[in-house]
Amino acid sequence: MKSLHTEILIAKHLKNAVFKNSAVFIITLFIGIILLYAAFSGWENYTNQNQTSEKYQHESREDWLKNPDKNPHRMAHYGNFAFRKSTPLSVFEFGMEPFFGNAIFLEAHKQNTANFSEAGFSNSILRFGEISIAMVLQILLPLLIFFLGFNAVAAERENGTLKLLLSQGINWKQLLIGKILGIANVIMLLFVPTIIVLVFIWLLLQDFSISADETIKMVLFILFHFIYLMFFCVIAVLISASSKTSKKALISLIGIWLVFTIILPRTTQAIGAYIYEAPSKIQFQGDIEKDILKQGDSHNPNDLHYKAIKDSLLSVYKVDSVQKLPFNYSGFIMTEGEKISSKIYNRHLETLLRLYEKQNSFSKTVSFFNPYIAIKNLSMGLSNTDYDSYINFQKQAEDYRYNMAQKMNALQVKYISNKKLGPNDKPLTINKEHWADVAEFHYEPKGIREVLKSEIISVLSVILWIIMLLVLIRIASKNLKAI
Amino acid sequence: MLALLFKNFIRSKGTKIGLIFLLIIGFISLLVGQQFQQKQQNNIKEAVNYQKEHIARNTAFHKDEIGLLLYYIKFSLVNKTLPINSLAIGQHDINPSIQTVTIRGLEAQKYNTELNNPNNLLSGNIDFSFVLIYLFPLLIISFSYNLVSEEKESGTWKIVATQSENTFLYILKLFYIRILSLILLFTIILFIAVLFLGIPFDKSLLAFYGLGILYILFWFSVSFFIVSLQKDSNFNAVILLTIWLFLIIILPAIINTYVVNKYPVPEALELTVKQRNAYHEKWDVDKKITMDKFYNHYPQFRHYALPESEFSWLWYYAMQQAGDDDSAQQSQELENKLQQRNKASQFIAQFIPTLHTQIQLNEIAKSDLGNQLLFLKETKQFHEKLRLYFYPKIFNNAAVAKENWSKFKVKTFNDPSEINFAKAFLPLLIFNLLLISLGWMRFRNSK
Repeated sequence: MKSLHTEILIAKHLKNAVFKNSAVFIITLFIGIILLYAAFSGWENYTNQNQTSEKYQHESREDWLKNPDKNPHRMAHYGNFAFRKSTPLSVFEFGMEPFFGNAIFLEAHKQNTANFSEAGFSNSILRFGEISIAMVLQILLPLLIFFLGFNAVAAERENGTLKLLLSQGINWKQLLIGKILGIANVIMLLFVPTIIVLVFIWLLLQDFSISADETIKMVLFILFHFIYLMFFCVIAVLISASSKTSKKALISLIGIWLVFTIILPRTTQAIGAYIYEAPSKIQFQGDIEKDILKQGDSHNPNDLHYKAIKDSLLSVYKVDSVQKLPFNYSGFIMTEGEKISSKIYNRHLETLLRLYEKQNSFSKTVSFFNPYIAIKNLSMGLSNTDYDSYINFQKQAEDYRYNMAQKMNALQVKYISNKKLGPNDKPLTINKEHWADVAEFHYEPKGIREVLKSEIISVLSVILWIIMLLVLIRIASKNLKAI
Repeated sequence: MLALLFKNFIRSKGTKIGLIFLLIIGFISLLVGQQFQQKQQNNIKEAVNYQKEHIARNTAFHKDEIGLLLYYIKFSLVNKTLPINSLAIGQHDINPSIQTVTIRGLEAQKYNTELNNPNNLLSGNIDFSFVLIYLFPLLIISFSYNLVSEEKESGTWKIVATQSENTFLYILKLFYIRILSLILLFTIILFIAVLFLGIPFDKSLLAFYGLGILYILFWFSVSFFIVSLQKDSNFNAVILLTIWLFLIIILPAIINTYVVNKYPVPEALELTVKQRNAYHEKWDVDKKITMDKFYNHYPQFRHYALPESEFSWLWYYAMQQAGDDDSAQQSQELENKLQQRNKASQFIAQFIPTLHTQIQLNEIAKSDLGNQLLFLKETKQFHEKLRLYFYPKIFNNAAVAKENWSKFKVKTFNDPSEINFAKAFLPLLIFNLLLISLGWMRFRNSK
């Protein structure tokens, strides 16, 4: 392999020149402080959130178990909670977390909304965004790279030193790669310490006992961010090399940065939301209610669907009234009702989620043109703070709810007598031992395989960006002129 | 002279592209606002229809048990969205504008959220306030970062200096035409908005307009100050963009993180766990305890004695009431925390013009946290009124048919808070004056 002697020399030269500029020192120091603040506040936020949700998950479980003997249907209404827990990587990437509801109340007959999101408790400051390590790496460092790199080649051209360099036997490819390495070198002075701190915090949060899954996610998190930053080093040098003056280079680079990080993410998502208009809650729930009524309304004594069930039960068991059935009739009816209503609910939810996917598809596709969206989606996926993770949490909660409700119905069918109570009879109960039969809600975040599967577009676009930039360096080295 | 300068400014390709881009995106923001407005209106229509059908259906099913009927019936309260809300959507996409509640325990219903795609919430709306707060400054910066410096770099400054007797006046004129064109653009978009979205000419619109102009002037003042430092164009561009970055991205993010960490709200989860237990445990304790609590809260219902039977609606609603009463403390704490959050961030925002403008625009449009808190309070009163109306009927088991159900229409909440012009305008005014005088002094001294 050819030695990179010349390139390294150019890189060193650029780095020295950069550090002669006192402004760079100040900016670097400043970004360092922001990184520390982001790490600290991310940590605080994470521990707050997880401690609270663990505390109340535990407390509500104890409460559930403490219930005395009662009718299982009472317990189905007593219900359970699903509290959302964050994964360690979310210390560095908040993603959509502030907009996620943190608690879902799970009870019979009813799919409740996920409530208590940070956003619901904040004023509009939140909408300006949050400061996290990922935000610094994804938004601020690229701009710093552009500020460092805009005159990498253009200034040499303006000074006339470019001709000198090229006439000394250095070719364009060496020059470009040297400059790229030089900027990367400066950025690594920020990136490497950040990663060291990051890994340390990450280990600390898990008490140094890490799973393979979390480790792969962490490694990919670092790797993708490294590649992402390299993209910007390459873009900076290429634009600088193809601009007549450093001012033009600077303006183009600022434009690119604005489009990538501010304008495109917002507009593409807004276009998706504008074209595919999502229903509001009142409409969504109204439609579900209508469909359930069409299927059969268990509250309506004359409902055809339930009357048919009743008649067929009576004829199979050869009895003349539901009280004579060998099991609890109303428990049986509720089992049926729960089955129907959650089937209908899930069908409507599927439709809604497909619509959301369509809304998101615009910004997902744009990741091919915009590495910022690609990295943002990847890092949110890895830190379990993306759209899919949230839907996944809600689905796990709904599965739990359904099983809990049906378990209580089954207990009622099996253990509660069928006789009609008089107005002064005590309600029929079952032993409280049964409450422990319903396991505690446990949220399992998506594994790395699923994350990569749902973010496949982003992975592909990162690969395409690598190829494209390599090709561009080749083309540029052949076609660039010194003047 | 002024006309020539203007011609020179407007002829440049960059200027035209910038202005047209802003006009188009401004127009898009109005479309987004219109869609938001329609969605809100549809929701209200939907709520009105739903309530009518829903009450009719349930009154038909549960003809002889008003207690059971009211277990099911839901009543809606609408948080009125002003037309101007479409210009600053604020938190109205996150917080539901309609609360639908039964007369059972309120704490279990009050915090229900709107259905949302979190992706949309994260990226935010392109409403007009976004265009004004994020994009206008960028255009202002691009119009003014190279004033003077560009002429110095290209060598034409010397000609200007020798030809005009007062170079400072010349610089002012350069700014004047730029300020005028952007204010004109702002006015045009706002005027279209007024026609397009049916925004009435009132105090809110005036405040919105005033705030917008002060905000535009703020960014010109910043540019004016930076230009007065008389550095080269590259330096100006970098420093202005850095200021933009600070005011729009870094500082708001830091402050938000600070406020969130300073005032965490574990009360929310505590409240939800507490109210569940408070209600459900009453099924298993002596009825007398529940009833005593209930009579203490509502002495006027003391004469309704608990019936002998195992179950009665009086007891049931007393249990539901207990869920709210026993968790009232947590509920109050949560409300106080949110008030504190809102106050703290509003206070800090006064020192950061971008944040201040956004919050004030949302306040004017009644779409911020303050409005939401008032709406929650109103929901509580709405709910209480219904309870007080229905409790005696339930306890007497009044005939369902005798009640005039059609009078239970969807109610609307009008946020009564007044616009405080001083609070809205002063911070920006002070910043503007400060920056202009600093810039003025710089120019004076440099001559």
